[in-house]
Amino acid sequence: MQEDFHYYATYCAAFLAGFSHEESLDICYSAQFVDLCSRTLLSKIGGPLNAATTQLQLEMMDARTDIIGLQDITRIWASFHFLPADLYAKKEKRTKRYMDRYRLICGPNGDLLVKTVEIAKGNGLQHIGIAMHVLADTWAHRYFAGTPSLVINNTDDHFYELRDEWRKVKFRHNPSAPDDIENGLYSNSLFQSRENSIMNLGHGRAGHFPDYSFATYKYLPAWGEYQEIIKDNPSDYKKAFSQMIYAMKYLKGSIDTFEKGRYEDSVFEKYGDRIDSILRKRQLNACSDWKAFGEELSGHEIEDFDIEKYQEEYQKAGKKEKDGTYIGGFIVAAKAQKAMVTGEIFKSGNRLAGLSKIISKGKGILKLLKIK
Amino acid sequence: MTQFQRVKSILYGILLISIAILIMSFPAESYTFILALIGTGFFLSGVSTLVYYFTMSRFMVGGKRSLYTGAIMIDFALLTLSFNDVPRVYVLLYFAVLHAFTGLIEILRANETRRNGSKHFKLKLSHGIMDVMLALICIIFIKDTIIAVFIYGFGLVYSGIMHFISAFRRTTMLQYIP
Repeated sequence: MQEDFHYYATYCAAFLAGFSHEESLDICYSAQFVDLCSRTLLSKIGGPLNAATTQLQLEMMDARTDIIGLQDITRIWASFHFLPADLYAKKEKRTKRYMDRYRLICGPNGDLLVKTVEIAKGNGLQHIGIAMHVLADTWAHRYFAGTPSLVINNTDDHFYELRDEWRKVKFRHNPSAPDDIENGLYSNSLFQSRENSIMNLGHGRAGHFPDYSFATYKYLPAWGEYQEIIKDNPSDYKKAFSQMIYAMKYLKGSIDTFEKGRYEDSVFEKYGDRIDSILRKRQLNACSDWKAFGEELSGHEIEDFDIEKYQEEYQKAGKKEKDGTYIGGFIVAAKAQKAMVTGEIFKSGNRLAGLSKIISKGKGILKLLKIK
Repeated sequence: MTQFQRVKSILYGILLISIAILIMSFPAESYTFILALIGTGFFLSGVSTLVYYFTMSRFMVGGKRSLYTGAIMIDFALLTLSFNDVPRVYVLLYFAVLHAFTGLIEILRANETRRNGSKHFKLKLSHGIMDVMLALICIIFIKDTIIAVFIYGFGLVYSGIMHFISAFRRTTMLQYIP
């Protein structure tokens, strides 16, 4: 997903869940910041590098994919962008090496999603924003894994988009060229036959195509045993939106429990057509449409996302005061999310995200889990 | 890069330079050794590709490619290992093409890094230029086949030095691009 959904649509969902304009802004800022909090940014502002929630393209080019590098990449991408749907998935006659990757395939309504939402409760608006980013991405990134793997993430020539009829999607390998949505021409990562090549991370082989809300497409996922999968983004993104509202109602305290597979569908009674038209509109990003919708809902102007907004506050804060800043709160929440996901992957017997150990000092889950 | 990766990079650099010194000390005898080295490389690569096929990619759509690649690599290995009697000029041509291609790719990647706003493209650029120069040397000295040993040795030394440099350089040297 992109800024349109992580920032503006998250604002709308937060407001519809009952948060105020200011609270909704803080939540959606954090949700969008997940896509920007790289090690490069953290080193610039003097933050802890293990709180990185993403990697820049150039950082990934520099990344090694030996086991140490692979674990680092997996910790970041599986925790924040490709939350595994089922860490204990079964498939017959497969090697453990294969299953370790297969079990990291992202999807909605997994046990880890429940844990993601639950650990966000009572831990600040930044944590809610992170949880909403993760939740939304489980819909957009389903069927891909947050670890570099050819056998899971590769796509081939059989890739079609539904417009008035099924049309073949063409991919090129030019990251600097914008996607041409009219002619169905998209940039993707280069085919690399090495299993752990960084080119085989997530949906890189399908480019940004899965991130477009208007896209309905069918393809052969590498893991799918030649069974075609049809991915209906407008429908999935609607579920993502209504699930975000449901989750944020829980996080706000209006609902007692968060359960898998439940949505706040009542929102579509009033706004269904509007939301549907935004999601189905063929455009590179839907920021202006979501922004207009959000402003109509709250009656307030939604400021554009500014990456610099909270950096100075964090940089100027003393060592002990940093956690009290906006970015400080984001960092604490990001580390907790990363530790939780890494810990669960480790507990399942899968070492692809590295080791996680429980330390005894401190109180509460945020201090109990430490990333090794 | 982690401490473990740095140590690994240094050890690999030392290994490459040691091999380079060894083969350049005995250029006449090293020709066979280099062929054996390349042939063994192909063979190990072929075997590992076949292992990858049987453990991973046979479950994947289009995974048979690994089976074919592995078989062809083993074939290449056998061919290279039997190259001892082939005119050495072909080996020089092989080196020339190899270095020219690698050099071109490195220069393009350096240019891409520069265009993306990073100031840290010089290492890649120097690597690319060095490779292109090695390719030119191969062509200039195509009649003096013993030079192949020195080119190969020099390539190993350069690779070793690069491993040292990447082990000691800061890994947070990339510029932030919003």
